[in-house]
Amino acid sequence: MPSVSFDNVRKTFGATTVVEDFNLVIEDGELLVLVGGSGSGKSTILRMVAGLEDVTSGTIRIDQRDVTPLPPRERDVAMVFQDYGLYPHMTVRENLSLGLRLRKVGGQEIDRRVTWAAGMLGLAPLLNRKPKQLSGGQRQRVAMGRAMVREPKVFLFDEPLSNLDAGLRAQMRIEIGGLQRRLRTTTIYVTHDQVEAMTLGDRIVVLADGRIQQVGRPIELYRAPTNRFVAGFIGTPPMNFVEGVIEGQDGAAFAADGMRVLLPDKTTATHGRSERVTLGIRPEDLKVDPAGDSASVAETGAIRGRVVLVERLGGLSHLHLDVGSRPHRLMASVSNDQLPAVGETITVHVPSDRVHLFGADDRALR
Amino acid sequence: MSPAREGPGAGKALRRIGLYTALTLAALTFIYPFIWMASSTFKPPIEVGTLALIPADPTLDNYRTMWARAPFGRALLNSVLVATTITLAVLIFGSMTAYALARLHFRGRAALNTVTLAVLLVPGQLTLIPLYTLIVQLGWIDTYAALIVPYLFNATAILMMRQFFLQIPQSLIDAARMDGMSELRILFTIFWPLSKPVLSIVAIFTFMGSWNEVLWPLLVVREQQLMTLPQLLTVFALGGGAGTVGVSLAAAMVLVIPVVIAYMFLQRNFIESMAGAGIKG
Repeated sequence: MPSVSFDNVRKTFGATTVVEDFNLVIEDGELLVLVGGSGSGKSTILRMVAGLEDVTSGTIRIDQRDVTPLPPRERDVAMVFQDYGLYPHMTVRENLSLGLRLRKVGGQEIDRRVTWAAGMLGLAPLLNRKPKQLSGGQRQRVAMGRAMVREPKVFLFDEPLSNLDAGLRAQMRIEIGGLQRRLRTTTIYVTHDQVEAMTLGDRIVVLADGRIQQVGRPIELYRAPTNRFVAGFIGTPPMNFVEGVIEGQDGAAFAADGMRVLLPDKTTATHGRSERVTLGIRPEDLKVDPAGDSASVAETGAIRGRVVLVERLGGLSHLHLDVGSRPHRLMASVSNDQLPAVGETITVHVPSDRVHLFGADDRALR
Repeated sequence: MSPAREGPGAGKALRRIGLYTALTLAALTFIYPFIWMASSTFKPPIEVGTLALIPADPTLDNYRTMWARAPFGRALLNSVLVATTITLAVLIFGSMTAYALARLHFRGRAALNTVTLAVLLVPGQLTLIPLYTLIVQLGWIDTYAALIVPYLFNATAILMMRQFFLQIPQSLIDAARMDGMSELRILFTIFWPLSKPVLSIVAIFTFMGSWNEVLWPLLVVREQQLMTLPQLLTVFALGGGAGTVGVSLAAAMVLVIPVVIAYMFLQRNFIESMAGAGIKG
């Protein structure tokens, strides 16, 4: 059953269009992540679901009820804000219970829910403190608790982890994921961090310039990005892009200055020769070939490049390679055994099923 | 301490002594007349001319005479009523206006902001005559309305509060709306508690301004029973009703005490906002 649905939603601020043609159905219990850079419209979409922004045109439904004209309090949604939005002059208990008191929920029921949420989030010993006396992670939990006690139909998270340091962010990410799986409440989660999106989302919506670029499960977005933006946005370190043409001699290949990469057979059938394209290779799909020499380059479609930088990360290392005479810079993410030295020329190859191709309009070629 | 550091240390101490002496003298210059006035109200007429701070022969005659000659008790009540009503109105209506100007989006907001600012540029003397004419037309001469209504809104207060409200994080408003609060409720249960510094300073300035106002009451009130304290005092002292300096001073004392008390109550917030302290959640 759809829990939240968007029908041709559009939002403009004056002459600027921030969200356009937004159509999406979110299933009951799903955790949907909206991801995109700043100005992509992701927070605006969330705020429109919350009722904090008007919808310029289109319809938003929650549980099949049109909520577009309703104020926030009549929508049965709860929101967690980036800077928490806790009332500084109230205790944790008051922060948690205020929304319920305003909704005329009975005193016993309020106590039950506050105790339940505080227990789940480890806030019980902090109930009489003010937000100022809490750490960042604790404030974040209070903000989540305030949303939980409402027992809403939909949770909205607006970049909830961006004010936390890296360690705490990873921990809270796991907590939010675990909590959502236990409660099974439909959740819309906005972030600019693709790692958060990949690890948390049942599905991810990638946004750019107020338009949906792709919707899918995390692994689909990673394996089969529909355009160059999604390909570059999802995955760390980001995908390598090289511009070149499609050539066909014995099977189709991609050719650019100093490199030739074999393409899957089906590409030849659908695309003409000499078409200008962009090749995309994920750093983790590039394998160092220790036996590689110039001869194998022509045959297997391997890539020869000079190592200009080696970044050792511990478990993995990033090799930065210059390929060709007017060099393309490629990055390969490799294991630490047999790392080449800077200045050395090495051979790397990429399995043809891991190659991504994008046309002149930046759409993926399949 | 090393000898090398002793030189500047001693210089610093000397400078500090000099500074404190100067400050103490300055403080005395300010406080002396006030103490002299306070003590002179307890002096018999023959002593008032002296500069002594302690009355040789203390008496309450000045207060008794003052109280007997004019309705100062009634004037005190009038002043409290007028100043309190005006202060409350300025706080309530002013913060409502400031909230709308700072945090709500509506057509014409920018224009309203400009108009509010422009009001500040018009000197009060300029509006005195039109305002007086209006009060006469309304038939409000010799009423409390004449004393109170023209002061219910105050552009300075609105702008001060608006400036403060602009700093309160948007997420608090959003969270409150999600919690189901109306805008009025957000203003009074979220913004007010967080805006104590600016509310106190507006309250003090408004109260003092209204309390000390003489010119306007003189224009619109002629009946002694409706006169405010400073007005009655002016009429009393200038009209020769006081008779002696001591009695005039006693009346001035009655005028000053409520302001001092109000200041003492709100002092902490007052100094806080003067020091520009903000709020931090």
